[in-house]
Amino acid sequence: MTINYTKISALVFLLIFLVYSYLAGEIEVFAFDEHADFNARTFPKFISYLGIVVSFLTLVLSRGEDDEPFGQFEWLKVFVLFVLVFTYGVIIKSVGFFLSTNLFLLVSYYYLGVRSYKVLLFCSFPVAASLQFMLHGLLDVYIRDPFLEFLGVIS
Amino acid sequence: MIEGLMIGINTAFSGYNIIMVMMGCFAGTIIGMLPGLGPMSAIALMIPITYGFDPASAMILMAGVYYGAIFGGSTSSILINAPGVAGTVSSSFDGYPMAKNGQAGKALAIAAYASFSGGTIAALFLLVAAPQLAKVSLSFQSADYFALMCVGLLSIAAFASKGQFLKAMIMTAFGLALATVGQDSLSDITRFHFDNINLMDGISFVLLVMATFAMSEAFMIIFKKMDVSFSASDVSKEKLGSIKLSKSEVKEMVPVVGRTSVLGFLVGVLPGAGATIASFLAWGFERSIAKAKEKLKFGKGSIKGLAAPETANNAACTGSFVPLLTLGIPGSGTTAVMLGALLSFGVQPGPRLYIEQPEIFWSIIISMYIGNVVLLVLNLPLIPYIARILAIPKNLLVPLVLFFSVTGVYLISFNSFDIYFMAVVALISLVLRILNYPMPPLILGFILGGMLEKNLRRALLINDGSFSFMWERPISLTLFIIMIVIILLQIYQGIQKKQS
Repeated sequence: MTINYTKISALVFLLIFLVYSYLAGEIEVFAFDEHADFNARTFPKFISYLGIVVSFLTLVLSRGEDDEPFGQFEWLKVFVLFVLVFTYGVIIKSVGFFLSTNLFLLVSYYYLGVRSYKVLLFCSFPVAASLQFMLHGLLDVYIRDPFLEFLGVIS
Repeated sequence: MIEGLMIGINTAFSGYNIIMVMMGCFAGTIIGMLPGLGPMSAIALMIPITYGFDPASAMILMAGVYYGAIFGGSTSSILINAPGVAGTVSSSFDGYPMAKNGQAGKALAIAAYASFSGGTIAALFLLVAAPQLAKVSLSFQSADYFALMCVGLLSIAAFASKGQFLKAMIMTAFGLALATVGQDSLSDITRFHFDNINLMDGISFVLLVMATFAMSEAFMIIFKKMDVSFSASDVSKEKLGSIKLSKSEVKEMVPVVGRTSVLGFLVGVLPGAGATIASFLAWGFERSIAKAKEKLKFGKGSIKGLAAPETANNAACTGSFVPLLTLGIPGSGTTAVMLGALLSFGVQPGPRLYIEQPEIFWSIIISMYIGNVVLLVLNLPLIPYIARILAIPKNLLVPLVLFFSVTGVYLISFNSFDIYFMAVVALISLVLRILNYPMPPLILGFILGGMLEKNLRRALLINDGSFSFMWERPISLTLFIIMIVIILLQIYQGIQKKQS
């Protein structure tokens, strides 16, 4: 049996569904429901059987003809963007929507190769400001923004 | 029916909803034009925006986005041979050669007229077929619904798999598994929450759609070094030429439009099929019935070759609303996203929708006519200007898509956990997509998971825990036979593939 990416992924899925099946059996149900025809465990159990069967078949039958080599792709850039999105999530509450959005957009553009200051500014500040205005001013959706509150722009 | 129709006309023709259709068509055209971002991403991006709207207006906006995205996809197919949407790949077979021959304007006009005709004829079919099917589906019981959903899941896995049925089935099972996270609807027992308070309510549908489509698409553009931008001169007004059609060209188009709109509608109604299959089938069908001399023109700029897929894909889009509105079961990945949106508005599509909320049911159908007119009257003349969006470089496009995806999810929950979770899901989706695991079965599994469990529970409780409903009820039996046929067909195809 040759190893290919599809087989590895099928093995991962097989393990996931095995764990899922175990956890499905561990779901706590009410005492009167324990031997019922259908309880909170039943459907997850069926899903796990389906998952185990199809991932096992994929593991056995796959020949990996359509697999693409992973090395040729831009892993690093995607990882950096992932970290930027994650960081955006971390700071959005503490520094507020406006500043965090601008920081996220500016850093992302710059990382992806934009060097013109005009483009950097034009594609970040108006985007964040107009969305914030639309939400806060027009649609009356409250977004916590300590930075703008500190500046006195919003109350 | 007449009363419902009048309510629908009244709702759809309100100034507010007309603006919704126009905005939807416009936004859909722009997003659909961008290679990689299809109607699913376009609709997903619209969901958070529509949260404050009433359900009818939200659905009208999304239906407009759907058409617009298909139309936008055709535009990039024709102008630069880069289909924004899978359903418009076959439009590039003849559309792009026409554009290369200096007839880009004409090709866009043919695409617009064909889309308009296909969408309008199919909307007429929908007007007649949907209420009838809704009445029939009132006789469906839980067992039948369960069987129907299984057929839907299997067929979308079969059609979306591109020859990799098992991978599609893994995604279906994975989607179903994700749907079980959170509170069980009947017993209120929380499942698979791992003591994390953020998972107790389950996984947000918007989060999953945004992460698996919009965000992972943006990652994919960077990951595969896809150059999605083109120079503005490629899509300049001078290069497009005239958009006028001669009488003989119109004559050539008319029978094609008639035939392929019926074909497209019927394919669209089938669960799992959709615009992509309809457009390929229509192109192949027209080519096969063409005279030997005309056949040679296919693939080199044939008017019939362009009109056929364009008519069929729009007719299929309309057709896919039939199972959604009447049975509450989506016929395609895109309508699955729409179903999720409807459910989040507290609207349960299905036979009762036709009776209980006729304003939603009929206004969606009526708005389809308006949407088609908007695309023809407004978007066609604006194409040289709208097409400039193709000149946006990827290093600006990607951060913007990421930003709109994150904001869309954050604005619903105001929970930072959703952003972290979304980023992780997007990264996993990216890897799965590289490994050719299709995403639509995952979404459909996730959306149908709750309903599937509910109906299976009812069916089993009614039958004292016995699965005899599978062969005792004629509707269920028929549907289970269809399921077996689909599985056998996939096994047969697999064996054939191995032998060849």
